[in-house]
Amino acid sequence: MTLRRAATILLLLMPGLGLILALIGAVVYIAVAQSFGLYSLMGESAFSLAFWSDTMGKKAFDKAVRYSIYVGVLSAIFSVILAYPLAIWLRKPFAGSVTIGAVLKAPLLVHGLVAAFLYINIISYNGLLNQVMQGLGIWDGPKRLQNDRNAIGVLILQTWKNMPFALLLLTGAVQAISDDVLDAARDLGAGSWARFRKVIAPLTVSGLQAAMVIIFIGALADFSFQTIAGPTNRQSLAQLMVNFKGRGDWHSAAVVGVSMMAIALIGSALLAVAARMIMRGRLK
Amino acid sequence: MTRARLNKILMSLVIGAAFLWLLIPFTMAVLWSLVDPSEPWTADQLLPPAMSFYRWTDMWQNSSLKPALVTSYALAPTAAVLTLCLALPTAYALGRYEFPGRELAKTLCLLPLVVPAFITAIFFSSILFQLGLAGNRFAAIVFAHAVLFLPYAIRILTVSFEQVRQDHIDAARDLGATPLARFRVAFVPALKPGISATLLIVFIQSIEEFAIAFIIGSPDVVTIPTLLYSALGQDFVRPNAAVLSLILVVPNVFLMLILERLMKSANPALSSGKG
Repeated sequence: MTLRRAATILLLLMPGLGLILALIGAVVYIAVAQSFGLYSLMGESAFSLAFWSDTMGKKAFDKAVRYSIYVGVLSAIFSVILAYPLAIWLRKPFAGSVTIGAVLKAPLLVHGLVAAFLYINIISYNGLLNQVMQGLGIWDGPKRLQNDRNAIGVLILQTWKNMPFALLLLTGAVQAISDDVLDAARDLGAGSWARFRKVIAPLTVSGLQAAMVIIFIGALADFSFQTIAGPTNRQSLAQLMVNFKGRGDWHSAAVVGVSMMAIALIGSALLAVAARMIMRGRLK
Repeated sequence: MTRARLNKILMSLVIGAAFLWLLIPFTMAVLWSLVDPSEPWTADQLLPPAMSFYRWTDMWQNSSLKPALVTSYALAPTAAVLTLCLALPTAYALGRYEFPGRELAKTLCLLPLVVPAFITAIFFSSILFQLGLAGNRFAAIVFAHAVLFLPYAIRILTVSFEQVRQDHIDAARDLGATPLARFRVAFVPALKPGISATLLIVFIQSIEEFAIAFIIGSPDVVTIPTLLYSALGQDFVRPNAAVLSLILVVPNVFLMLILERLMKSANPALSSGKG
């Protein structure tokens, strides 16, 4: 490659990739620097570990870390568990399968905030669910279901929104397996469970990993579902970060932000490894 | 049980579930947006006792809906055009040149999708404060949207550039076409669907984007999602939130259906999932 050609390519990459690296690089750099007391927007800037020790010592931070991991991991698992059988079912086209696929993927077209509204509208104190349950005589009176303590509302919303995404990735992975491979397995005497365990599962690991990691990061960093439908006695990491920033405490917000990125990275790696171990042969 | 019979049972299950998770919630939203304030819709009535478009006209006249619509629908096309301009050179390099590190470059282009939106939003606003640019909220949101949605644009356009056929370029050259004429006959036809798809996907993403608009825009710049967010939180009035939800969701569903068409013609491999 000549120097001229290399220069041309670099110049071409500048406005697109260059800008991405500049913005995201600057964002991550500022977050890390501010978490150590640098680039202060009010007051003195000096390197300090105080913000890390202060923030990490707070009970709200500890709760937020555990809560966000809980929501992230469970949302990823629920979405994938629901999407997997559907993807296998839709592998081969049949009469009506396109319509079914479209109906299943419809939530992809619905904005998260709209989904949150639809949900709280249904489960609110005077909402449809309470009416139906009372009408059927299952509940004596209306129950307060919004902002439930175990974040079931958030998990339902995350799964509703993310299952179609997992389905999209898994359908692609499952459809990429050729019939020859599955027929060969069948001819060798493999039943449907064995075909799933020994052929489909190992061949779709990367699609599964991608789906889990992306859903995990999104749900871990959730703000809007949590503030609208989540429990009021604890905060998600993103909510905590926004609150710190709202009070002008940029350094603590930075500590939360950097922790969130670290948890996203480590958590993704762990989930990917776990998915691989489960899907490659250890599945009994 | 035959496979066809099993499929039928499963299909009716899925349609029944879709009824619960799509049709009922949306019907409720439409009904709530039509509740007339003269008679409240109480829990003992199946349908609202009085229905009118009062909420719609009231929101239109007496809320931030108009400015929010203007902002959102000015923001989205600006961001879309800017993203397209920024993405074209990179997509050209990734689609038409072989060079070491090309796969790495493609992967790095996805970075904005991995970093959580609220982290980008908060620390981008911190950078704006450091640079003394925090006053230019609208321009800052346009810039942030343009960069954040580059991954989609670069991805789609790279595939479009890969589909430009070298023999078309060569044939045009052999017939004595100028560089501009060569671009017109060989590149434009292959790029057209990709360009439309890029403009549309960034438009939709920008209309829907919440974190950046919320953190950088508030309190002056209001978009439809930030307006909906406040309608769901501090000033929750159910019929108003229903109106806003429908305004946000309905146009975008149509845009996305068009997008899916475009993506299929832009890149058949992408939609079949065997890319």
